[in-house]
Amino acid sequence: MKIGLEVHVQLPTRSKMFCSCPTTDAPAPNTHVCPVCLGMPGSRPVLNRQALVYGIMLAKMLGCKVADTTWFSRKTYFYPDMSKSVQITQYDHPIGEGGVVYLNGKKPIRITRIHLEEDPGKTRRTAEGSSLVDYNRSGIPLAEIVTEPDIASPEEAREFLAQLIADIKHTIDIPDDGERSIRCDCNISVGKERCEVKNVTGLKNAERALRYEMVRQIKILKAGGKIERETRAFDEERGITYSARKKEFEADYGYIDEPDLGIFRIKELVDSVSIKESPAKMTQRLSSQYGIDEKKAKQLVSTSVNLAQFFEKVASAYGTQEAVRWVIGPVTANWKRFEERGGGTEAVLAVLGKFADGTITDTECTIELKSVMTGESAAEAAAQTDDLEKIISGYLDANPQIVEDYRKGNKKAANSVIGHVMKSTGGKYSSSDIVEAVTRIVESRI
Amino acid sequence: MSDRDTLSKLDKINSVYGMFHDFGGEWTDDTEFLFSAKDNLTSKGFETCAGSRILEGYRPAFDATAIARMKEAGGQLIGKTNMDEFGFGTFSANSAFEVPKNPFDLGRSCGGSSGGSACAAAVLEDHVSLGVSTGGSVCCPASFCGTYGIVPTYGRVSRYGLIDYGNSLDKIGLLSMDPAKLSEYLPVISGKDPKDPTSCVQPELRIEHRRISSVAVPRESVEGISDSVKKAFTDALESLRSMGVDVEYVDMPQLKYAMPAYYVLATSEASTNLARYCGMRYGRQDGDLSLGFDDYFTSFRTEYFGDEAKRRILLGTYTRMEGFRDRYYAKALQVRMGVIDAYKAQFRDHDAVLTPTMPFVSPRFEDISAMSPVENYKADFLTIPPNLAGTPHLNCPCGYDGDGMPIGMQFVTDHWNEDLLLTMAEDWDRQFEVRHAEVKV
Repeated sequence: MKIGLEVHVQLPTRSKMFCSCPTTDAPAPNTHVCPVCLGMPGSRPVLNRQALVYGIMLAKMLGCKVADTTWFSRKTYFYPDMSKSVQITQYDHPIGEGGVVYLNGKKPIRITRIHLEEDPGKTRRTAEGSSLVDYNRSGIPLAEIVTEPDIASPEEAREFLAQLIADIKHTIDIPDDGERSIRCDCNISVGKERCEVKNVTGLKNAERALRYEMVRQIKILKAGGKIERETRAFDEERGITYSARKKEFEADYGYIDEPDLGIFRIKELVDSVSIKESPAKMTQRLSSQYGIDEKKAKQLVSTSVNLAQFFEKVASAYGTQEAVRWVIGPVTANWKRFEERGGGTEAVLAVLGKFADGTITDTECTIELKSVMTGESAAEAAAQTDDLEKIISGYLDANPQIVEDYRKGNKKAANSVIGHVMKSTGGKYSSSDIVEAVTRIVESRI
Repeated sequence: MSDRDTLSKLDKINSVYGMFHDFGGEWTDDTEFLFSAKDNLTSKGFETCAGSRILEGYRPAFDATAIARMKEAGGQLIGKTNMDEFGFGTFSANSAFEVPKNPFDLGRSCGGSSGGSACAAAVLEDHVSLGVSTGGSVCCPASFCGTYGIVPTYGRVSRYGLIDYGNSLDKIGLLSMDPAKLSEYLPVISGKDPKDPTSCVQPELRIEHRRISSVAVPRESVEGISDSVKKAFTDALESLRSMGVDVEYVDMPQLKYAMPAYYVLATSEASTNLARYCGMRYGRQDGDLSLGFDDYFTSFRTEYFGDEAKRRILLGTYTRMEGFRDRYYAKALQVRMGVIDAYKAQFRDHDAVLTPTMPFVSPRFEDISAMSPVENYKADFLTIPPNLAGTPHLNCPCGYDGDGMPIGMQFVTDHWNEDLLLTMAEDWDRQFEVRHAEVKV
């Protein structure tokens, strides 16, 4: 089975790609519009430089060869949500070509290209059967990332998308709360001929659409049928794909260069743009550099890249072993609250320093960390830690089988302890505290 | 004269010549000058149709930058001038509205596609009009109506608010009987405009009164032209020599490739520009809403585009189709570079390239309707090369035939050298007796 994806990501610029309309949520349909994004006669586009910068960052992130010279093209097609009946996109000389992404640090997924383009508006069917068009989205900058058909299953597609999105969000600073839509066109072939499922929104739907399409194609082939090359659409509610207009597939977009924007010689800009290490790459590096389990590295990075950076700080100050013990333990448990409070990591580092000196014991260290990171008084933290530890220890004493199972490699055995503690304490402790304490105590008994 | 007197006079004049698609306005004594603009420049307060029925009712929310700058300089826009639909034509006869009539003979064309602007410049007193040139649409009507007309370098004047024909070719220029007005208003409308990135790479327009001291006359340009044009042009060369200008005949064989390349590029771009006109959002929108969108769009485009617009959409769509794109569109881009190189080679030894503007004087309307599309396109063979190259060019009236119809010559200078053209127009005007048409009201 071969799967290739075309992923569309909205770029977090403040204004649209070719005009100064805002990209924030609009109060009502057709309010964030102007002559340019409505395609009024006589208006013309001006490129938002930040969109270009984001495009360069993503091209670098994907390991693409970034163009020295790039330009835009016109893709002509008639559809009510495309205000000019022409989409400004990139055809020849896109911003980046020929990259590769390593899924979970291992499997290479080749990236064909990444290019920039403008989003069309949105069409909405009304109950009466007519359509309304909202151009607020018209002209929002998009990056389109096209992969080679290197993905082997719908599950892998989802995994790839999850990794890609995490990397993108980190690289161009898309805030986690501002959930921007990720749309993709999914190409899949079980036999020789492929089908494209257009415009699927979100990871989960991508996997569902691909799985449905996989089963459909297998059934056809088993029955001795032939897969017809076509464009299909995905019905989210029913979870099925269906044949879209064949005409669309046959479309010849008649690309020509976009004369209003000119040619962009961007070598200097490309050289000046640097990108942060992506979460996926950081996970791989932490795992190999510190010899820690890949899952643990992933847990660090996915909790927060800042946490992973703190891990490195501790490792360089007190050694990897201490970093694993404290950062993957209590520090991780308290990290969310710590980041919400917003403070420097110096105080946290200082607590670990005291432990390294032998000034405090490991129990005291746990309590102090919690206190420093959450802002609770030491007594409160101590009481909580104490209470929590008592409850866990009591439960483990009563159910020795759990530690035994855990020792044999059934890590899920600890879940029953976590469940019990959550129930019996009724929300008094955060789940991360509980998980941390249970893991710590269970492991100490092995 | 008050605005009301002027408007009632305009009304009478327009009923004879038909230069305006829409005119009017109110103004005071503070108004320093009156101007008109081709109807493919957007303007608040006037309907803007670009000669097409598909835009009937479009009242733009914004002024084109060139119009806004004329207003800031104290100008009053008095009307929007008739033109070939979207600029598609040589005689303004492809207008969906009125076809302007030649000031020297009402039975003949004003030329095109800025025919209404040339007519206004020739007929109205002390007038200056904004025109637009894609392949010759300023110099052609200036030549036929006996006015001066200048087209600056591509990118000199912001195209914001210009209803696009071919974006890589469109240039806003000026027409007037008085060359001093070209020198006065070209700097007004020129200059960088953040709303049009292609205007932002220009060097400053400096008026230094530099003179053209030598011209190259391509031999190819005096072949296949009418006897009266040839004679007037040859006489003009003599006058130039007497003004101290060196005149040298040269070969520019590349010029003959300009026309096919131009039509490929212009129609390719035009067919994408015209895609937006489909009866939604602006202009005519009075279609049958029960149709699916494809049929709805098709019904509008079938009904309200004229024949020449349809022809150019088809041509341009064909030349950018998969499989033909490289053979036509990409090739035409190469030819364009070749034409630019041919001009640059001449500018090493000469300040300007000089040719007649049009191969004949303005034809009668009945002769125009008998012309085939290809004959029609061929009439532009001298105005297309500088337009394709994006080089500035100027029409100067240089003679009159036996019927008194004006004949023009066209100077082309290197990119950004408009100053040479402005000086030439003023120098020429001092020694050549330009005839004014008798205004029939």
